[in-house]
Amino acid sequence: MKKVNLFSIGLLILVLLVFAGCSNEGETAGGSEEESNTLVLAQAADIPSIDPQNSLSTTGDRVHRNMFSRLFMWDNELALQEDLVDTYEQIDDETWEFTLKKATFHDGETVTAEDVKFSLERVMTDETLKEYPYFKQLKEVNVKDEQTVQIITEGPMPTLLNLLAKSGSDILPKAYFEEVGIEGFQEKPIGSGPYQFAEWIRDDRVTLVPFEDYYGDKPKWEKVEVRAIPESSTRVGELLTGGVDIATDIPPNEWERVESESGVDLINGETTRVSLLMVRTTEGYVTSDPKVREAIDLAIDQQAIVDSVLQGTGVPVRTRVPEGVFGTNPDLTNTRVYDVERAKELLAEAGHPDGIDITFTSSRGRYPLDSEVAQLIVSMLSEAGINAELKLLESSAFLDEYNSKSNEELIMIGLADGLLDASYSLVHYTEERAAGQTDYKNGEVEGLFNAAGQNLDEEERTEQYQLIQEIVAEERPHIFLYQNAVNYGVSENITFTPRLDEAIRFDDLTKK
Amino acid sequence: MQGNAEAKTVGTIGQAVRKDKATGGFKRWCHLLWQSKTGTVGFIIVLSVVLVAIFADLLVPHDPVENNLSDMLAPPFWMDGGSAAYLLGTDNLGRDILSRIIVGTRVSLLVGIFSVVLAGIIGLLVGLAAGYYGKWVDTILMRIVDSFLAIPSILFILVVLAVFEPSIMTLIVVIGLTNWVSYARVVRSEVLSVKERDFVRASYSIGTKDTTIIRKHIVPNIISSFIVISALSVATTIILEASLSFLGLGIQPPDVSWGAMLTDGRNYLATNWWIATFPGIAITITVLGIIFLGDWLRDVLDPRNYFSKKGGA
Amino acid sequence: MKKYLVKRLLQIIPVLFIISFVVFVLVYMAGDPVALMLPEDASESDREAMRAALGLTDPFYIQYFRFVGDLVQGNFGTSFRYNQAALPLVLERLPATFELAAASMVVATLMAVPLGIYSARKQNSLVDLFITGGSVLGKAMPNFWLGILLILLFAVNIQVFPVSGRGTIVHMILPAITLGTGIAAEMTRLIRSNMLEILNQDYIRTARSKGVSSNILVYKHAFRNSLIPVVTIMGLQVSHLVSGALITESVFSWPGIGLLLVQAVNGRDMAVVQAAVFVIALLVIVVNLITDLIYRLLDPRINYS
Repeated sequence: MKKVNLFSIGLLILVLLVFAGCSNEGETAGGSEEESNTLVLAQAADIPSIDPQNSLSTTGDRVHRNMFSRLFMWDNELALQEDLVDTYEQIDDETWEFTLKKATFHDGETVTAEDVKFSLERVMTDETLKEYPYFKQLKEVNVKDEQTVQIITEGPMPTLLNLLAKSGSDILPKAYFEEVGIEGFQEKPIGSGPYQFAEWIRDDRVTLVPFEDYYGDKPKWEKVEVRAIPESSTRVGELLTGGVDIATDIPPNEWERVESESGVDLINGETTRVSLLMVRTTEGYVTSDPKVREAIDLAIDQQAIVDSVLQGTGVPVRTRVPEGVFGTNPDLTNTRVYDVERAKELLAEAGHPDGIDITFTSSRGRYPLDSEVAQLIVSMLSEAGINAELKLLESSAFLDEYNSKSNEELIMIGLADGLLDASYSLVHYTEERAAGQTDYKNGEVEGLFNAAGQNLDEEERTEQYQLIQEIVAEERPHIFLYQNAVNYGVSENITFTPRLDEAIRFDDLTKK
Repeated sequence: MQGNAEAKTVGTIGQAVRKDKATGGFKRWCHLLWQSKTGTVGFIIVLSVVLVAIFADLLVPHDPVENNLSDMLAPPFWMDGGSAAYLLGTDNLGRDILSRIIVGTRVSLLVGIFSVVLAGIIGLLVGLAAGYYGKWVDTILMRIVDSFLAIPSILFILVVLAVFEPSIMTLIVVIGLTNWVSYARVVRSEVLSVKERDFVRASYSIGTKDTTIIRKHIVPNIISSFIVISALSVATTIILEASLSFLGLGIQPPDVSWGAMLTDGRNYLATNWWIATFPGIAITITVLGIIFLGDWLRDVLDPRNYFSKKGGA
Repeated sequence: MKKYLVKRLLQIIPVLFIISFVVFVLVYMAGDPVALMLPEDASESDREAMRAALGLTDPFYIQYFRFVGDLVQGNFGTSFRYNQAALPLVLERLPATFELAAASMVVATLMAVPLGIYSARKQNSLVDLFITGGSVLGKAMPNFWLGILLILLFAVNIQVFPVSGRGTIVHMILPAITLGTGIAAEMTRLIRSNMLEILNQDYIRTARSKGVSSNILVYKHAFRNSLIPVVTIMGLQVSHLVSGALITESVFSWPGIGLLLVQAVNGRDMAVVQAAVFVIALLVIVVNLITDLIYRLLDPRINYS
């Protein structure tokens, strides 16, 4: 008898535990009562950090830009607009002065020049912050008065305003931050954006509620939940059943399902991310011969990749600066060179009539359909007599190989432009940056790049960047594949326009 | 050579089997197998899977890694749009699923069998050492065993595979290095019980070499439990490989395994169900076969089970 | 008994030490978390600066001693990913995983007990074959596969359960079935074979020959005794549960320790991996110890040497 009792008690405890667990949760989770005006967004990954200067990711930025304000912002047409800044003027090549709007933080304190100085200095000096590398060209931030701040740059900086609109330039409340420290700030972050922090359950969701005293337009949503659902079929499942209003990163194989379902739309947007092959031009590699590099490019049918595996999304390109980014070269976007026969001839001319053997590294699961695209490229190359041995690596192993520069002839990678300015992308073709990776070296490119970096004349700067791209497209230290697309599944009740920078401002979404 | 004491442990049926094997009692085995429905089914499945793995190159209708963009996502032959060229359809790169399953058989079995062999060898050595020498050797080895038992194997493998690039070889080694503990425990306890028997003590007292005692008296006694655990481990390893693939750490292309196919195809379940379903069926049937066969082996090799079954019928 | 307990508790210490060393070595070899924290575009000098700032450029033994030193004080270091102490991060995930584990145990028991008993009573019948085969099938199906199928069927197609996330009791059902099925399969087989063994024992056979109704026999005698090993299996299944939780939590976006660990390994978040492995190992050890003790209480024949 004793035995049975013990067992049933055990079982009972189990059952009770379960119910206890549920009833607890039921209270915190019960979002159904205010369903009407709640926005639920599902992303493929959790935000890396609630600290906006230590996040550096699209997923994090979608939360941060709604919680924090920056001095500038990109509007929906991707034009730079003042955000916290009321007026500004450039005093000389290196000095800029900004006057702030009247704005308040979520704790009721006013946003002052001191806060701006504090925030920018934090990201300029603390090298453990992920955003730190982007802010190195800022030299000084000086408070002129309560509402006026002066920024001094290291040499002329044509991209200053872009930087002040970028993630990481978020303005933090100095007094509060110094009082509670980083630990306390992460517990309860405070900004001056339209939404304020309510809760973050890691790997699950961030919940935001409107900030009534926001200095701009009144926030529209009563509650916003940003959920992390890494498994794409689960994310789509939530979308189709109405569990979420917008799901990001819908992979091509799910498009049919999303499109055919009533109540949800598939919305295709462009990104600044360009997938490309980095090529070793280093002496000793077969790819040091420009003819071989050209043959590789000619053997790849970028349009076919886009049409087949990517199902028509993405744009074949011959540059890393896609349309919409400052300095783009329109001749090199939406185009490709493809000619297998010519590729074979080139190989023969280069002294390889029987083809060549190369090693090709690609990630697997880091970018949408990367491993499929890589496998496709391998079979395209083989048509031209290029025998590529494919090395597919899982995301972190891939980054190890990329960062240690231990890859062989080819490595496929997707690079985005966080600044929406060609300077961000084209730095790869400078000798210092290319060392050990592509080992590309070209004095003309070097000169053009350095000149453009200090050039405050927009038109001339554009021409300089365009010229660099032409040279690179000819010499091929990078062989470009396509500009990545991103696909959103959106509930029909909501109007949503995707942006090139993949940002989402909650108040740009409207309920139909 | 195998004395009375052995008959005691192996039992009459076991003894009969052993004797028959020596005299080529193939018929007897067949008879024993035929008596069990599930055993027969299991045997047939395992035999066919092994044959497929061996003759994979001859059986594949297409090159399993060749992309064929014009035939992307073709359904199986009986559905609209399917063709006899691709009996089970094609995947998102236009590769023939049947061919990939056939080649995948080889990889999945390879990983399953060799990791189990490796685990078995390590487990055998550790278990023998711990059980036979006892004292501090036992204490140290058993604490190591405890440590491994406390970390669920998938967790350990997950961390290891984050360090070493996953390939067939690393998978075999890593899984082998994690799963030896269950063998070690079984071997150790068997050794402990055998060691105390009179005949072993006797050989020890007349100065027989350690290795001889181990080889002659201890190893034969643990062989049967060993075989049974091994059979079941092959099954769990096949599943484990699939789970690792799901976490992105399984067999990497261009190598093909069932787990990798299942993982790649999972995102197509709602639209192109055949990509993931057929490898899923292959895994399930194979594991089913191995478990059936393993259960049958356990019943046959363990006389206690055999009699209790008989009595209960 | 007391001596036995003390001995078992003392054994935990070297075990934890071995685990800490193995995990540290692995994580150390796993390499550079900075690579994953900065974008592909960051330059080598940017990465170097960050590595130095995080103390990752120190030699192996210094990092290890720092690790052990902190560990003794209950400090597992700081998560790079979340920039906060690792141990609380792990501990705050435990309730979610406990909840899921308990629910799947309930599911497993509810499935296994009736199935096991029934198939034992109808041994060798078609139903028995079906149940035995089914339980093997339950073991033969990879967890994630089952989970995705369940989502597709019950959450997307007929929409009776939510797709993912943690919340109300209905959120728990699909993950619990996913995780519970494998355990139920194991349990069914165990209950069945125990029942068979007991049904074949002399006293039952005697009772049966004396005309005691077979229902009464099954429920009063056999069932009760066959349950003892079920308690043990609950202990033995802890590590199964953890492995299953890794997968199940990933499929259902269930914010438990399994999901945390998978993300931490992918992000090379050393401190969190270490803390999570440690906490899980400790849990496994403790649960095994407890089931061991319960088992001994239930079955006094076992001695405590």
